[in-house]
Amino acid sequence: MSKPLFFGKSLTLMQNDNFLIQQLKDKDERALSLLYDKYAGAIYSVIIKMVRDEGKAQNLLQDTFMTVWDKAESYDASKGRFYTWVFRIARNKTLNFLRKVEPLIQTDDFSVHDSKEEAISIDAKYLELNGAITTLEEHHKKAIELVYFKGLTHKEAHQQMDVPLGTFKSYVRQALKQLRKAYTKTLSVLLLILNAL
Amino acid sequence: MMDKKTILDNGLLEQYLLGELNAQECEQIEQVLASDTELKAQFDAIEKDFETLGLENAIEPPKGIKYQLIQDIREAKDTKNNKNNTNLKYYLGIAAAIAALLMLGNFWMYNELNVVKDQLQTVETEKTELNDKLNNLNKQIDEEIALFSTIAHPDTEQYVLKGNTLMPDGKVVSYVNHSTKSVVINTERLPKLDAEHDYQMWADVEGEMINMGVIAKDQNLMAMNYIDHAESLNITIEPAGGNDHPTVSQLVSNVYLN
Repeated sequence: MSKPLFFGKSLTLMQNDNFLIQQLKDKDERALSLLYDKYAGAIYSVIIKMVRDEGKAQNLLQDTFMTVWDKAESYDASKGRFYTWVFRIARNKTLNFLRKVEPLIQTDDFSVHDSKEEAISIDAKYLELNGAITTLEEHHKKAIELVYFKGLTHKEAHQQMDVPLGTFKSYVRQALKQLRKAYTKTLSVLLLILNAL
Repeated sequence: MMDKKTILDNGLLEQYLLGELNAQECEQIEQVLASDTELKAQFDAIEKDFETLGLENAIEPPKGIKYQLIQDIREAKDTKNNKNNTNLKYYLGIAAAIAALLMLGNFWMYNELNVVKDQLQTVETEKTELNDKLNNLNKQIDEEIALFSTIAHPDTEQYVLKGNTLMPDGKVVSYVNHSTKSVVINTERLPKLDAEHDYQMWADVEGEMINMGVIAKDQNLMAMNYIDHAESLNITIEPAGGNDHPTVSQLVSNVYLN
């Protein structure tokens, strides 16, 4: 009984998203507003962990969704999820911003992250991680944090962690496997609750 | 060419998802994904996991940002419209200015054309008048030359026709040349006649009076018809336009030729 219910819900959500995205492409402000409500929090979290400055993060968030609005036409659903598309826009904007405003603190490996981190003060709650990632082993957690929340490339991140690139890649792979397990478990629990209801 | 194994071994799906790869690499990954449903399913799963991860860590941004975003979008829309309007107005303005200039130019040229036409007309008229005058003058000169050449001719003889009692103060000087067969008279001293009468000149040939012509009122010097064997020259007053036969009672002057 549980499966049809889950798929039904999932399908409805997907349809909603597809519908909203189509409206967004047709320059519907309401669609932008609803998609913003859904994804802005996740995107803001990524941006703020990268720039470590609330004001700048807010500007970049607004800029990101402005681009989402302007370039909605170029989003191709067959190539990936809407969230992934927005995430990439936010990541690129933030990295470009960091390269522009802080070119002098770039290190030899072109990383813009590993210096001066301590110099910028920000409320620690913005840097904290939540959810399933907190259950991962420390090095798995760190690997995901660097590439996903800090905007580092794999090449930059393995240097940061001081492990070979191959090892780092397997960290990421392992971490994703663990997350998959955790999310499936969460879903099962959710389904159990739904089933019970 | 990238294959599934390379992609999985190098963790390229994750790097592609995160946006670390360049355009060429992205294109290659996308090609493989489009043709390999198993790999695509794996990518979909990673995408969902990353999305869930993101949503789990969401931090609510201040409400003002969304408000500002919507405001900016509306402003951008307005600006775009205004810009279009402004552009349109600008181009219309230029077009109107050019049209006005062209119209002014045309109007000016039209006026100029009319002025030139008028001037041309005036010049044409003046030219015609001058031509006429010139022709008249030429004619006059020719006539006068002819008259003077007769008068100045060595064979020319002068006869003065003195007025009789009917015309005591009048006289006509005539120049007769038998070799060129021409007669010229000077009528300066002929008293003026009214409009209903003309002086007419006659030649007497063996008792018959032969018409030599009516004397014009507006010329002082004129040529008359030369008549062979004329014995005398006679002038009578006749009805205007001349007469077939002389009115003898109106004979005012005569002279016998040698």
